[in-house]
Amino acid sequence: MANVSVAAEWQLLYNRYYRKPELYRMRWKHIDLSRNKVACAPFGGPIAIIRDDSKIVQLHSESALRKLRIFNSAGVQLSETVWKNPGGRLIGMSWTDDQTLACIVQDGTVYRYNIHAEPLEPNISMGKECFEQNVVDCVFWGNGVVCITESNQLFCIPDFKNPKPCKLADPGIEELPFCMAVIEPQYTMSGNVEVLLGVGEAFVVAVEEDGVQQLGAEVLRGPLQKMAVSRDGQWLASFTHDGRLLVMTSDLQKVIMEQECESALPPEQLSWCGMDTVLLYWDDMLLMMGPRGDPVRYLYDEPIILIPECDGVRILSNSSMEFLQRVPDSTESIFKIGSTSPAALLYDALDHFDRRSAKADENLRLIRSSLPEAVESCIDAAGHEFDVLRQRTLLRAASYGQAFCSNFQRDRIQEMCKILRVLNAVRSHEIGISLSIQQYKLLTPSVLVGRLINAHQHLLALRISEYLGMNQEVVIMHWSCSKITASLAIPDAILLEILLDKLKLCKGISYAAVAAHADKNGRRKLAAMLVEHEPRSSKQVPLLLSIGEEDTALMKATESGDTDLVYLVLFHIWQKRQPLEFFGMIQPRNLARDLFVAYARCYKHEFLKDYFLSNGQLQEVAFLLWKESWELGKNPMASKGSPLHGPRIKLIEKAQNLFSETKEHTFESKAAEEHAKLLRIQHELEVTTKQAIFVDSSISDTIRTCIVLGNHRAAMKVKTEFKVSEKRWYWLKVFALATIRDWDALEKFSKEKRPPIGYRPFVEACIDADEKGEALKYIPKLADPRERAESYARIGMVKEAADAASQAKDGELLGRLKLTFSQNAAASSIFDTLRDRLSFQGVS
Amino acid sequence: MAQIPNLDNAPLNLTFLREQSQKELINILKNIRGKKCLVIDQKLSGSLSVIIQTSLLKEHGVELRHLSAEPIQTDAAKVVYLVRSQLNLMKFISSHVNNDISRGLQREYYVYFVPRRAVSCEKILEEEKVHHLLTIGEYPLYIVPLDEDVLSFELDLAYKEYQVDGDTSSLWHIAKAIHKLEFSFGLIPNVRAKGKASVCVAEILNRLQAEEPVNSPDMVVPEINTLILIDREVDMVTPMCSQLTYEGLLDEFLGINNGSVELDASIMGLQQEGKKVKVPLNSSDKLFKEIRDLNFEVVVQILRQKATSMKQDYTEMTTTTQTVSELKDFVKKLNSLPEMTRHINLAQYLSTFTSKPSFLAQLDMEHTMVEAQSYDICFEYIEEMIHKQEPLINVLRLLILFSITNSGLPKKNFDYLRRELLHSYGFEHVGTLNNLEKAGLLKKQESKSNWPTVKRALQLVVEDTDTANPNDISYVFSGYAPLSIRLVQHAVRSGWRPIEEILKLLPGPHSDKKRGRFSSSPSLDTLQGASASMDKVADGRRSLVLVVFVGGVTFAEIAALRYLCSQEAMAYDLIIGTTNIVSGHSLTESFVEKLG
Repeated sequence: MANVSVAAEWQLLYNRYYRKPELYRMRWKHIDLSRNKVACAPFGGPIAIIRDDSKIVQLHSESALRKLRIFNSAGVQLSETVWKNPGGRLIGMSWTDDQTLACIVQDGTVYRYNIHAEPLEPNISMGKECFEQNVVDCVFWGNGVVCITESNQLFCIPDFKNPKPCKLADPGIEELPFCMAVIEPQYTMSGNVEVLLGVGEAFVVAVEEDGVQQLGAEVLRGPLQKMAVSRDGQWLASFTHDGRLLVMTSDLQKVIMEQECESALPPEQLSWCGMDTVLLYWDDMLLMMGPRGDPVRYLYDEPIILIPECDGVRILSNSSMEFLQRVPDSTESIFKIGSTSPAALLYDALDHFDRRSAKADENLRLIRSSLPEAVESCIDAAGHEFDVLRQRTLLRAASYGQAFCSNFQRDRIQEMCKILRVLNAVRSHEIGISLSIQQYKLLTPSVLVGRLINAHQHLLALRISEYLGMNQEVVIMHWSCSKITASLAIPDAILLEILLDKLKLCKGISYAAVAAHADKNGRRKLAAMLVEHEPRSSKQVPLLLSIGEEDTALMKATESGDTDLVYLVLFHIWQKRQPLEFFGMIQPRNLARDLFVAYARCYKHEFLKDYFLSNGQLQEVAFLLWKESWELGKNPMASKGSPLHGPRIKLIEKAQNLFSETKEHTFESKAAEEHAKLLRIQHELEVTTKQAIFVDSSISDTIRTCIVLGNHRAAMKVKTEFKVSEKRWYWLKVFALATIRDWDALEKFSKEKRPPIGYRPFVEACIDADEKGEALKYIPKLADPRERAESYARIGMVKEAADAASQAKDGELLGRLKLTFSQNAAASSIFDTLRDRLSFQGVS
Repeated sequence: MAQIPNLDNAPLNLTFLREQSQKELINILKNIRGKKCLVIDQKLSGSLSVIIQTSLLKEHGVELRHLSAEPIQTDAAKVVYLVRSQLNLMKFISSHVNNDISRGLQREYYVYFVPRRAVSCEKILEEEKVHHLLTIGEYPLYIVPLDEDVLSFELDLAYKEYQVDGDTSSLWHIAKAIHKLEFSFGLIPNVRAKGKASVCVAEILNRLQAEEPVNSPDMVVPEINTLILIDREVDMVTPMCSQLTYEGLLDEFLGINNGSVELDASIMGLQQEGKKVKVPLNSSDKLFKEIRDLNFEVVVQILRQKATSMKQDYTEMTTTTQTVSELKDFVKKLNSLPEMTRHINLAQYLSTFTSKPSFLAQLDMEHTMVEAQSYDICFEYIEEMIHKQEPLINVLRLLILFSITNSGLPKKNFDYLRRELLHSYGFEHVGTLNNLEKAGLLKKQESKSNWPTVKRALQLVVEDTDTANPNDISYVFSGYAPLSIRLVQHAVRSGWRPIEEILKLLPGPHSDKKRGRFSSSPSLDTLQGASASMDKVADGRRSLVLVVFVGGVTFAEIAALRYLCSQEAMAYDLIIGTTNIVSGHSLTESFVEKLG
């Protein structure tokens, strides 16, 4: 019997059924829509109501001050505020996509409110020109508004998120248009908004930012009285001067349908119902017209407001909220009177089953082959149902049928249950968001959660996101911030506990963001306590800096091991503090200190010197000075005639003095002293030899250069001046003489006295210079037979090498020498014999 | 053959890592429309050469330049700088921009920092008043796969920076790089670290995990089982010894950069006088893969054998009639001919260095020092090197080895050698000496050296090493087993516990931690045996140990690790991470700071 009653409420328009279930009885009292301006948000959003100041109404027992009141879709009041805004009459108001209420007044100012009726700063102005002209009408869309002024100029805010007013092209009309409609930017060719104006002629003026066009002259026979653009911007529904409903493409090129209406008077409201029918509303009659067939007529004895949705129209009256939509296919197939579709039979089977009738089985057998579709239809129909009991029956029918299907996606029912639980929860009177399943899918769960959060329905939002497996971070974050804003009276410690209790629900949530909010609300101490819990140093440290906790910031940055963070803190303190204070802060912190030094070494030399002086690291200053002395040397000025050796030496001497301040740096002090002395001597040498080849070479090099130049006296002087050891002296002189191939001098030198390091340097120098003959002068003088052997070997004298090696009684050496001469058969046999002889003696 | 190594045989999916890096770079270039001039700092361009082909960059409308003090000459209106976040590079950028301004050129500038933006660098750009003219971004290149088992973090100066300057930026980068790996391959459950910097990296890694957790679903076995972090500071002896493996010697004498050596074309037998050629060296070269880690002596023998056998085949081929399949085999062998020639050329060139008496004497001296004998002989040898003014780096390298094995030099010798150094090489090297002292590489003796104890306990000096058929890692240095790898060997086998006493004798702390869901299980080494078998991945692959060297690793050490890996008794595959590839030469050079 239930089946009959369901379809009995449907109306047939041509071949399609429509239904109009009541969503809510309105909870409000004494609201008369006709006395008020009303803004209803789509997607079951809130309703804003304010007394219409353009109408003369009788005040009952109420204040003369107007109140802006905000209700949910079920008529439960959410908030109210007194309207005291200047700027003249309220021209229009509407909800934007992010549920902000935008109200535009005569002077072109746009006031914005959130759902809690709290004004959002700043107010937006439509610009000076608009201000001077007075707004008379406006049209809103998702995120923008167009208004028309008394002088018939159009002004526009294309996007409230980035509110930049702009003036559209001059439409060039004298009279105020009959009607106005907007094609949203996303549907126009240019990507800018397009405004359609119904003027007193047989065309429509289309205005854009940079041009005006006349449209529809081919198809129109007279002016249009009312227009409505479809949701997708493709179609334009209009009411003509002679009482016809005309649906055209939105470029007014083609007429899609044309129907006579019963009245030549334009309707008060014209609206699309989904994408397939158009609604016209006069005084007490609502007419639904489709492309074919007789219109459906509904009568109302109270004023109504049509709220277009993607899949129908919500109808708000003083007492109720209804939803007019086409009956979904699945629902129709089940409930249509006399339907024998598999789904209807399945639904019926459940009924029989519940009544323990055997007919259940009969039904099932009838539809066996199409059972999966039947199940699917039941699930789908359940989704479209507003009545909870009927949802349940439909799902039970689906589940009953599913038991007999082997290959049906099991989770479909579960999925639908999930969706319905969410939908039913938000449809309750208290929440009052009456979404259809199609609207819900279009809106997406995350936006729904966002709207719940905005309405401060945190608990439900949390539950839903948990239930749907979404990230709860957004909810908890918003809750925490709202909690902080709302809890001025709660002491920090207690509030912290409350917050932490919830924040810990969500892993990876940004404590720093909550702390930043606390700081913005003037609760610095709470912020400091919160930021302590932030695990990510990269978020924690910057915040600590912004709330002035520099020491902690430095500590946390150091702990993190992230040097970039340490630098961040470092530069922050550096900029804010006096140098000495800054030095004091970084001094005890090794990492910060070392990083500062590394940076300053590269970029802030002088400041670095100050630092080292301030903490008594004089040797470091000395190193810096010493380094500077070289930079002076590299200065191009140095090579131009007057050498800068004077200032250079001064710097080095300064460094020397600083080194000598500490006992540990005697070595460096001595070195600096020697360096200064060396520079002086080198400078003198350059003057006397007139060759700029001495400065900045080492002591050893200086000696070599002197000898190479034949200036033995100077070499000797350098030697004694720097107490160069005899050993080094011999190496240097031998090599220097070999360089200039002065073999006689070399020989003379070898005979001067017994060389302190033997004759090896002489041998090496000669061999390196490839002078075998010269080498032979010294090889016999080598004391160690091993060395002798190797030296002979190096100049290829096998026999002598072998003799010397056997003299050394070194088998290993013999082996090695043999290897060296492996290409030479004769040579290797020599070594073999010798080695045999050695091993025979048992010496190897 | 390409310089970009083939990574198909890598134990981890490194190809994925590399492709990601390629994509990121290309996206950066794509997003900057039109013609542009890409300016890369020299070192980075080397790293990029093993990531992406230059031709690919040019496809995206890019002119390539190297960053230097010279102003950029280009027609492109957009200049994109791709630079490591290093302070000294900022001056170049700011001077370029200022130069353009003074010449009235209007250009768009983009600065992409590798691997991430740095406050300190941006500060300099601000101070130079160019920051507001630049669009700043990041190119998060933390890891460069050098070969199928070697990852480099490309931090050349890491060791010097944290040892001398106390700048630990590189440690954070290493931890971040490992953490990035974990995002791809799962949380590494065991972390063992030895040395101050290593322990520090392990700590930062844990912090990063706390801040940005890698989710490890319970059922998935992480691909990397253990991370071993070894601080270079723990073992500075090994890098100071001359490497004797083929690849090690190539690096010592010719210098391998980003997996290739550059040398005169004539050495490679090419007829292009004076021209340089780049020879790629990685596992894509089958022959190189076979011989890279062998002791050079053995390499020479193997090459000779191969050449002889090929010659034999060839003569057989010309004399007798062959079946088709035999012909095919022969042709297959011929395919390896270019590789053969390449390595014979290289080996021949190398032996001109290795046969020098001075090299042999140096090896001799290194062994004497490692064995910690004959102090006086070593001292005199170094003294003479200074007197003969042999190359400074060679001298310092031996001196460092000498100082470490003796835990410093007696004050008299210390001061004397320093003075002789300054006299011979110039006073400007007072900075170098200061750096070495700060890093503890050259110091005054204050206590008795631990080295003999360590050497004995860990059996670092192995007599009678058979380099051809090695039975121990000591073959890589012909008788010295690198300390660092001995430690890894122990860490892999049984954890730190059994060698704790020895570890205490080496610099820096050590740590051994379990992480993630494994942290609850007791970290007892006795459980190790049981867990090791459990750790085995089901499909028969061995599970993986990542060995990270903080401060660099030498090719010889890599060879030793590969040797360990090849042993049958080894339960793990090893993959190596390092700040960079070092040799004693490059490591010592990083400390050289002329004041002048």
